[in-house]
Amino acid sequence: MGTVRYILRRLIFSAFLIIGVSMILFAMINAIGNPIEILLAERPGITDEIIESITQYYGLGGSVTDRYFTWLGAIIRFDFGTSIIYNLPVSEMLLTYGLETLKIQIPAILIALLVSVLISVLAATRQYSRIDFGVIAGAMVGHSLPGFLLGILLILLFSYWLGILPSYGAYSTRNLLMDSMVIDGLWHMVLPVAMLAFFNTATLTLLLRASLVDVLRQDFITAARASGLPERRVVFGHALRNAFIPVLTYLGILFGLMLGTAPVTETVFTWPGLGALYIMAIQQLDYPLIMGATMIITFMLVTATLLTDIAYVIIDPRIRLA
Amino acid sequence: MAAAQPLLEVRDLKVHFFTREGVVRAVDGVDYSVNRAETLGIVGESGSGKTVSSLAMLRLVPPPARTVAGQILFDGEDLLTRTPKQMAALRGRRIAMIFQNPATSLNPIYSIGAQLTEILTWHEKASRRDAEPRVIELLGLVGISDPATRLRQYPHELSGGMRQRIGIARALLCNPSLVLADEPTTALDVTIQAQILELLAELQARFRMSMVLVTHDMGVVARMATRITVMYAGRVCETADAATIFNAPQHPYTRALLESMPRIDHSYAGPARRVLPSIPGRPPNLLNPPSGCRFHDRCPEAQVECRRLLPVETAVAPGHIVSCLRRGSPGIVA
Repeated sequence: MGTVRYILRRLIFSAFLIIGVSMILFAMINAIGNPIEILLAERPGITDEIIESITQYYGLGGSVTDRYFTWLGAIIRFDFGTSIIYNLPVSEMLLTYGLETLKIQIPAILIALLVSVLISVLAATRQYSRIDFGVIAGAMVGHSLPGFLLGILLILLFSYWLGILPSYGAYSTRNLLMDSMVIDGLWHMVLPVAMLAFFNTATLTLLLRASLVDVLRQDFITAARASGLPERRVVFGHALRNAFIPVLTYLGILFGLMLGTAPVTETVFTWPGLGALYIMAIQQLDYPLIMGATMIITFMLVTATLLTDIAYVIIDPRIRLA
Repeated sequence: MAAAQPLLEVRDLKVHFFTREGVVRAVDGVDYSVNRAETLGIVGESGSGKTVSSLAMLRLVPPPARTVAGQILFDGEDLLTRTPKQMAALRGRRIAMIFQNPATSLNPIYSIGAQLTEILTWHEKASRRDAEPRVIELLGLVGISDPATRLRQYPHELSGGMRQRIGIARALLCNPSLVLADEPTTALDVTIQAQILELLAELQARFRMSMVLVTHDMGVVARMATRITVMYAGRVCETADAATIFNAPQHPYTRALLESMPRIDHSYAGPARRVLPSIPGRPPNLLNPPSGCRFHDRCPEAQVECRRLLPVETAVAPGHIVSCLRRGSPGIVA
């Protein structure tokens, strides 16, 4: 009843949010001017007639509102037009590159979640001990380390010196490892996933440890101990779930933005992911790709925020659905 | 002395906080005992070491505090020498605690039923299905209406008094022989306070359990306690049965404390008003407690020796223990 109505309301709100973003995005891209003119002007042999005909070909003539609604109608059918640079359907590119990004981001976030929970429990239950200070220092360093530096160090160590892990790409170009696409693919995932997981672990540990230290000081934790519950249950059952409440928002954003947040990793490891593609599209003014990627990332973020809000309702009974 | 062995005997308990500024002697050599089925009231100002000494009974003093010395004999066995596992099996089952603030001592994200059945299923290896009717029965006993519905509610949906009843039910789940009640009514409305005290007295008689009632409120101990221990600055001043404490207090601190209580037959307003007496000075900083008797610099009867010698607890009458040089306690240099 209450919950269903709340979710429905949030869904409608989310739809408006996405439409709002699409309008702003369209207006901003439109403000740049006719991309065909920008891309082709001053090249030899390009006449106004050619620019005109290509403009018509890409549907860039007509009024702004007409074009907006044509575009909106198309993206609802998952048709984002054709990439100017790659001459491929944008929807297909988003799918291919997006999946490659998800392939490294999802395992990285899940690993980070698991590791940061273990480290945070280890540190928070021994507050101000050497272990605790070590964890704080490590997480701070990890949190502030430049991304490309770790990537290069990983390549140097595991690919160059030890020679046990591939340094670039999602698959081997010639001989697949053990002649298997799956094993070869997993082999290539190790370093990029490790790099992403490292940074996520550092940030999540900082948040989770602080939150856990705070919760462990609460009366109800002493009360749970005084009731004779074993320490494991007190920490994992009573404290951790409370400690997760403030971390949930960050986790939602982490999942929501994951398509666009790995460009450095993707660049360092030459991973065919969406983040690196997105930045390239911006540099090359591949506007159908820019708009397509922006809309997909927006959609993911809005969905993740919606799921986070629903998760809050489930995890914290104090939240009222007004 | 009574022939029966007391249920709980605390001997020379010391709990110190090891802070960066130095060692805070929150509990510094405390003795008391609790007989079976009686209520011992522990009275003292904030910071006199009452709460920490209750947590020490459960071996749950929070860091940077540590129990550094003493014995806690429960049923003849020293709790301080028990293994952590033996200790955990004792908590909640034989020794339980009621907390001061019912708003913070229940986990906000679990239902009442989940929190209470968890304890019962853990200690008695009972199934959830078997535990639930017992929880419902106990909730009824602590005066909660419609307990089956409350089971599915969360702490924030209940009033303060109701939550404290839940806290009491949680402590009594496994029928403990000793209940430590740490200021159980301080956070409640005055009207609710009376109800909760009544409930505690009734349950204590019904289950014949022993209770340590920690409070700063003389009115509460007057009503509840069989015997009273008065604490000051981490040490015991005086222990006696309730009537003696109120009618013939010996220690100057006890006397001053009683005198500073407002009385219903005195008028503190209008033309014939009296001034409510207060104890001059402030409770000492336990990082650097006063030499000799901890109370000497605020004591109206203090003499030179009080500054130098720490009084040792001495019986002035059977069951009436005072530590004051002016009442004949021997002093030691400390």
